[in-house]
Amino acid sequence: MINYILTILIIFLIAPFLLGLTKSIKMFLLFKKPMSPFQPYIDFAKLIHKELVYAKESSLISRIAVFMILAPIVVVVFLMPPVFHGSFYISFIDAFTITGLLSLSTFFLMLLGLDSASAFGGIGSSREAFISALVEPAMILTIFSISLIGQSIGISKAVLNLNDYFDINHAASFVLAAISFFIILIAENGRIPVDNPETHLELTMVHEAMILESTGADLALIEMASALKFAIFATLFVSLFLPFGVNLCWCLAVTVFILKLILVSVAVALIEVNTAKLRLFKVPNLLGIAIIFGFLSLFIYYVVGE
Amino acid sequence: MFSLNPLSMLFLFLILLGVIPNLFYMTGYLSHIKRKTHFLIHYFTFIFSMTGVVLSNEILPFLFFWELMSLASWQLILTEPTDEAIKAARFYFFMTHFGFVFILLFFLMLGGDSLFTNFETLKELAADFKYPTLLFLLITVGFLSKAGVVPLHVWLPYAHPAAPSPVSALMSGIMLKIAIYAFLRFLFIIPNWQIEWGVIILALGAISSLVGVLYAIASHDIKALLANHSIENIGIILIGIGVGMIFTYLKLPALAAFAFIAAVYHTLNHMSFKSLLFMSAGSVLYATQTKHIESYGGLIKLMPITAFMFLIAAISISALPPTNGFLSEWMIFQSMLSSSGIDNLVLKLSFPFAIFALALTGGLAIACFVKAFGITFLGLARSENAKHAKEVNKLMLTGQILMAGVVISLMLFMPFFIKIINYSLPITDIYHKLFQNIWVMHSLNSNGAVAPLLILAGLIIVVFAIYAFYKYLNPKIRIYHTWACGYNTNAKSQYSATGFAGPIRRFFEWLYRPEVHTHTQTISGHKTKFTSSLYEVHIKPLFEKSLYDNVVKGLNFLSYFVYKLSHFERHRYSSLIFMLLIFALFSFRVFYKEISWGNIVLEVIVMSIFYKFLFGENK
Repeated sequence: MINYILTILIIFLIAPFLLGLTKSIKMFLLFKKPMSPFQPYIDFAKLIHKELVYAKESSLISRIAVFMILAPIVVVVFLMPPVFHGSFYISFIDAFTITGLLSLSTFFLMLLGLDSASAFGGIGSSREAFISALVEPAMILTIFSISLIGQSIGISKAVLNLNDYFDINHAASFVLAAISFFIILIAENGRIPVDNPETHLELTMVHEAMILESTGADLALIEMASALKFAIFATLFVSLFLPFGVNLCWCLAVTVFILKLILVSVAVALIEVNTAKLRLFKVPNLLGIAIIFGFLSLFIYYVVGE
Repeated sequence: MFSLNPLSMLFLFLILLGVIPNLFYMTGYLSHIKRKTHFLIHYFTFIFSMTGVVLSNEILPFLFFWELMSLASWQLILTEPTDEAIKAARFYFFMTHFGFVFILLFFLMLGGDSLFTNFETLKELAADFKYPTLLFLLITVGFLSKAGVVPLHVWLPYAHPAAPSPVSALMSGIMLKIAIYAFLRFLFIIPNWQIEWGVIILALGAISSLVGVLYAIASHDIKALLANHSIENIGIILIGIGVGMIFTYLKLPALAAFAFIAAVYHTLNHMSFKSLLFMSAGSVLYATQTKHIESYGGLIKLMPITAFMFLIAAISISALPPTNGFLSEWMIFQSMLSSSGIDNLVLKLSFPFAIFALALTGGLAIACFVKAFGITFLGLARSENAKHAKEVNKLMLTGQILMAGVVISLMLFMPFFIKIINYSLPITDIYHKLFQNIWVMHSLNSNGAVAPLLILAGLIIVVFAIYAFYKYLNPKIRIYHTWACGYNTNAKSQYSATGFAGPIRRFFEWLYRPEVHTHTQTISGHKTKFTSSLYEVHIKPLFEKSLYDNVVKGLNFLSYFVYKLSHFERHRYSSLIFMLLIFALFSFRVFYKEISWGNIVLEVIVMSIFYKFLFGENK
């Protein structure tokens, strides 16, 4: 139980650091003076003491939305797979529920965008609806595939199975699922090929447009929610698709886990620096790749057989 | 005449759950209706006939109540006889009788020598019937045309919006479910299912779910949107039934039972939240006097309870945890996941496509209900009607709250519902495999599990924690304008439903084939300066245009041909008789004596010469 709480705490504490690290690596690669990777913590502490400004046009939804955006994501953090062997994990929730909870959070984020009667929020919600509708099938197919490879739809069980025994026959479908999942990670967290997290241009905003009207503690919590979401996807990615290190002793396992998360951050930063943001109507091509890879991964699994 | 079997009991329960809140709602809505007597008579007849269909145990009562149900709902569509409603009602009348013909054929073929054969005897008769596939196709066309499955779904988006809202709730919530009930009831009568049947139902379900949700996104009439969503949800139910049929054929009774339970549980869920959505949409309609989504906006401030109810139902229908809609969709996903145990590789490879369709449907449903809820209730009022809306009367609110209670209880008491569904269908008992305890539901394989109550508890705890955090911070709150880059925020500049659905509409352009109309009133010849401009998109329903219109054209052509036949001169009649004689002799020779292509070609040539002689121009 102590170990379980430790895992949860690690994810909570490292989440803002991952985004900060991504940003600072990007700045470094773009020959800027990099900011400290711990900047998000400072921002959080600064924002929660500011006053809240609510729009006159907005309704109760703006007040509720913050709770409903953060709560599902926090619940999902508690369902994450174990970092080292023998620690407690929650086995009675499976991967579909996790995707559902993430969608619940997105649902209220979109409503928040529409609530303030500004055109920007509408832009953001509309695009987010479009992107998340296309992400959903890719996500389900990939999860289906990895649950077959890991012989369990419960994520924690699948992670442990993969660590104990990895069937080399299914390497091809495993790799395809990994690529698909990485595209999903980028799309769901609004990283560069899909959405630019650092811009406030209406042409490019998706996630930023929806939270344009949030201020103070609301903004802090929503930023925290998006950081946690990134941490969740990174955790899922490293646990499912880099299945090693869980069977080590606990201090080593935790170190390996954190290093893997940092690796994901670095990878995302490199991708962000090296690609341009896609046009909105080119995004389906990228997500189409994810969907097709999900399909292929399943098919290859079936054709290769047990 | 009548009897109660477990499945009837279950659907009777469904009717009760659906009707009781609806009665409150209807009483509140009544002041809105001009022809009260007409409406009330048909309303109660409708409910009575639906109960009758469920309870009937013999052919004639069943058909009688089925027809009564169709006719009562047909009259209810005509409650306000606008041109639109009359057109919709005519269409509905035609479609429902088109289905009725097939149902009648089914009973005539199977029914033995009496119209009062009861359904137990029918089962014995079906066991001796030589062509079970024919029976299956008849009930598929007959009952599923009533349920609104692609391609027989076209009447739904016309008929449901034309009826008054309480009736829309009944039609979408219960009448479609009665069709599903009848389909299930007679499906279990037919023996030795083939694998193709299950695949057909699965494919129909997948296509229906996608088509329904895509047209729902594109429609901007709130009730048509909800009606299209009914098509989608019926598709999801059929996916469950199809998977169950496939597993039954493959002799996997436990998995089949799981899929059937998922389908019927989704049926119950869909009844609850679709009724609630229609009621809330009806309240909005009642308050604003318009169906058009583009003229709503900001109603959450004026109608908070209605908005909240709509939100609950929207979350549920978008299959977001921990609501009941999520639970049943989760079950259907899990039953499709079990397909990995099938030996037949081709069949196994076909399942991912259904999973893809269902997942895409889920994603698009979320988009659609963000649109429906966001544009209707959030932001600023887009029209005078929406500005002066008032919360509806207490009776209507009571109906909605009761229905919301049904939605929530379907979530909270899931084990209980699963139990009664399991015992009401002729399937294996798997309840104890699913629930080791009442908190967690397990799937039959691959360790899938879901615990709605625990998720709900978790969410509530986290929400309270965040609330405590806010209390602790106690920030100052200031109310100010929305920032709109220095301009004033007004209703014109916010997003519209057309704009919201824009990206999706553009992506699925091959299906929608939108007609875009722009009207601009320019100022004195300047191209870029205008006082007012209007951008409209009209979606062509593809099925209607291609399938139905061509059928109508073909029928017209045939009837014109027959009409021409009956207006001949005398000598042409004689030649017609001669031609038919030749035709008969030739056909006898070709098909009875010796089938050879040369003969057939010769006959075609002779016939075409005669055709020329008959229908040629008068010299």
